[in-house]
Parts: sequence; C-alpha cells; structure tokens
Amino acid sequence: MARVGVVGIGHTKFGNLSQYDLGDVMAYAATDALKDAGFLERRKEIDQVIVGNMASGLFCHQSAVASSVVSKMDMEPVPAELVENGPASGASAIKIGYMAVASGMADIVLVIGGEVMRKVTGWTGTEYVATMLHPEAEYDMGLTLPGFGGMFTRMYMEKYGLTERDLALLAVKNHANGAKNKYAHIQAECTIEAIADGPEANVVNTYVAEPLRMYSTCPVSDGAAALLLVNMDSPKAKLFSKKPVRIAGIASATDTHCVHNRKDPLKLEAVRIAAEKAYAMAGLTPKDISFAELHDAFSILELAISEEVGFFERGKSFLAVRKGETAIDGRLPINTSGGLKSKGHPVGATGTSQAVELVRQLRGEAEQGRQVADPKYGMAVNFGGFGNNVVTMIFAKD
Amino acid sequence: MIDFSMYDFKEPKIKAYKCEKCGTVYYPAPMICRECHSRRDPVTDKHWETFDLEGPCELLAWTRLWNLPEGYNSKFLLFGIVQFDNGLRASGRLEVEKPATGMRLVATVEESDERPGKPVHVFVFKQD
Repeated sequence: MARVGVVGIGHTKFGNLSQYDLGDVMAYAATDALKDAGFLERRKEIDQVIVGNMASGLFCHQSAVASSVVSKMDMEPVPAELVENGPASGASAIKIGYMAVASGMADIVLVIGGEVMRKVTGWTGTEYVATMLHPEAEYDMGLTLPGFGGMFTRMYMEKYGLTERDLALLAVKNHANGAKNKYAHIQAECTIEAIADGPEANVVNTYVAEPLRMYSTCPVSDGAAALLLVNMDSPKAKLFSKKPVRIAGIASATDTHCVHNRKDPLKLEAVRIAAEKAYAMAGLTPKDISFAELHDAFSILELAISEEVGFFERGKSFLAVRKGETAIDGRLPINTSGGLKSKGHPVGATGTSQAVELVRQLRGEAEQGRQVADPKYGMAVNFGGFGNNVVTMIFAKD
Repeated sequence: MIDFSMYDFKEPKIKAYKCEKCGTVYYPAPMICRECHSRRDPVTDKHWETFDLEGPCELLAWTRLWNLPEGYNSKFLLFGIVQFDNGLRASGRLEVEKPATGMRLVATVEESDERPGKPVHVFVFKQD
C-alpha cells in the first residue's frame, strides 16, 4: 500500500453560516486547502474529490452536493462522489480518500466535509438529526441524540461516581482551547463558577437531557473543512508546497443500531475496535499518542471515548480531568481545538475538522496558548450515530 | 355480508419476534437470526413467531428531555430503556413521578401522532 499524506488543509469559521449556500461553504474550505498546498492553479490534476455530508437533503433541501462543489470550483471533469455516515461522514470521506490513494486508484484526492444546519430552527434540526436513530424502536418513540446522551451520562454517573461538576470541568477545559481557535464557533471561555459552582449556575447552565446540561452539549453549527491527500511514494508528492503529514492509521467499526441492544450499553465497542485497528495499522499504542480530538457532542463522550481508546482505565478518565491531565499543558491534551463543545459540530464537517486540527498541531501551526509542545502523533475519533459507526484516525509527523 | 371489522378499535401493540428454528427472541425485528442465521421474510414472517412485547420490566436508564424535536409541544418528556423478564430490552417514554434506575415498571403501548407522517405505536413505561 502506498503511504498517504495530507499536504493541504482548509477550514471555514464554524458558526451560523445559514445565509450561505452549502456548496459555497464547502468550496471556501476546499479552496483554502488547495492554496495551502500551493495547488490551486493545478486543481484539475486532482484525481478524485470526495465529499462528506450527512443531511443536505434535509437541512438545505439540496442533493448531489459533490457535483455542486466541483462545479463551483471550476474543477470539471474531476470525478466527485458523496460519502454519508451520519456525524462521522467527514472522517468516513477521509477513509475512502485514503483507500483510493493507498490502493493506487488515485494519487491526489481532495476531501471536503461540510454541513449547513442552521437554515432550519433548532426544533426542526433536532428532528432531522434524530432520523439517524432506529426508525421504529427509537425515532418513533420521540427519542433524540441528546436523549441517549442523557441516559448514557446517568448510567456512567451511577456506575463510576462521575458528577455534574466533572462534566462542567470538561466544558471549562474545552472552551479555554476553543477561545483561542480562530475557527471555533464559540470563541469564549467559561468559568466553573458560572456553570457549576455559582449561585446562578442552574440558570446559566440549564438542563438539556438530564443530567446533561447546556454546557455539556455541543452547539448546532455550520461550516466546512477540507484536506488534500497525496500518495507520498509518487513523484507527484513533490508538487506541493507543504511537507505531508502522514496518515499512519485509519479504521472504522460498527455497533448495533439500537442502543438498547448492546450487551453493556456503557461500552462503545465500535470505538474500541476502530481504535485497535488504527493502532495496529500505525504500529502504535495509546502511550504513543501526543494529543487527541475526541467527538464530544456530549461531554460524557469525551470521557467514554478516552477510555475505549485506551488512554485511561474504564471509569477513571474524569479523575484525570480533575488533575488537569487532559488540559492543553497536561500529560495528554484532549480536544485542543475546543472540541465539538466549543469549536462546534456541523455534523458532516466534524471529521474533516478534527483531521485539520491534527495537521495544524503536528505542523506547529496552532494558535499561541493552545499549541501542544512537539507532538508526534495525533488521534481523532469521529462518532457516527450514537456510537454505531465510528472512525478513528492517527496522523504522524515523520 | 360486509365485513366492518377493519373499523373495530384495535388496541395498539408492538411486536417482538422469535426464531422458530432456534428460539432466539428479538426486538426490534431482525432480518437474519444471529444464532442460526435463519432469514426472516418481512412480508410473510414465515418460520418466525411474533408476540406482543408488554408487561413487567425493569428501568435500566432514564432522562428528562427538555429540547424536544419538532412536533412535540410538551415542556419536557421522560424517556427510558427497560429490560423485560424475557431479557429483551426496549426504549420508550416514561410516565413515572420519581424515576429511579432499577425500579419495576409495566410496559404499555399507546398511539402517537407527534412525529411527521402516520401515527405510530410507542412504548409508555408506567408504574404498576
């Protein structure tokens, strides 16, 4: 298999971009990725475009977005296809791009992940996102993704002793990082007094799905992020202005569609299996990872995922958060970008955004105050459904 | 003689499935038995038994959901995951004053028209 590297990255600011066309948002990030790689003028030499998007048909009443974005970028006749895997669509698009290059089918692949969710109200958006649940056994019941987040949080609290204050500590940590990230949706810090300890915390930080509160739940965001992948063993690798960041491991796994049908509903088997496969592919162990981007659509997921990928023992991750081990200056910084909580979660863009953050950190290009000191390997976990289709990526600075 | 039985009131029910070959039970319906790999034809259900999933169960997890999706006009709804005595589990609504993990409940089925499209049958777990 050919080695695959990232030579260009692009990222829109996340936030409310509902006045813009989804194709324009994606093209903006993709153009930045091509400029970053010094390849904008030669873009028609790209072998393949792969677009990750979850639900443009619902949110934007628009289909065939891969064709739209290619045309907007004047890239015809470059082949372009869409990959959909719920909120893990972005990382799945990268995985398919990786497979295209590693297999020899393509040497240069442009991967774009994007979503514009805020054209509809939060009320409607919650309904659209819930369509990824089991149609009869979950969706029809009235359940939503925050609903499962709430139930998962309660089970974890009752089994391991996690408190609501522990969840608030995660928000404080991630907002501290996101406040410094120029792409983040919510570029503001929050204090533990305001959201947990103070007299008005119950008003500032209201319940969303008990015991999950607003500061333990990601915002609804719009945005896009893009990466240019290249075959590092091809002569074409010399065409780019940036040194590649190597994709050392990338893998995915699935779990039962119905959450209630998991033997232990607190175990995220797809996360564990995808991580084990990615470690094996990269020849690494959890101890080799310098920093990680973990899919904290709900803060509890940052904890549960960090345990499943082997960073901490089961039920012990929140103790590490209390000690600051996952802060930007800690032993293993997690969600250096601000995570989904602060950076935002445009569902189809999240996986590509996590990958862009890995590249920025490994290149040493993150903003002052949130750059990890000399990182060698970064990991990202992009979580589809409520853990039923998960992609794990490990990027390396060679 | 005209048959008007289609207009009779039918109590809402939710079906569970049993593989006739090996006896494994399922909810919701599978397409292939995980134990003996028997195929289920969703039109005929041939070689599969169906039965109403209802009755006593235990609450495994619950939440009070405040951000309900489009179609729901309540301020909040309670949801839970339960386990029936035959080992099957289900997700659904909870109508309990003070929910607590491990409490014994009874699963009932009601018709709901809040989601877009046709009315559907939903579980409502209640105290005995």
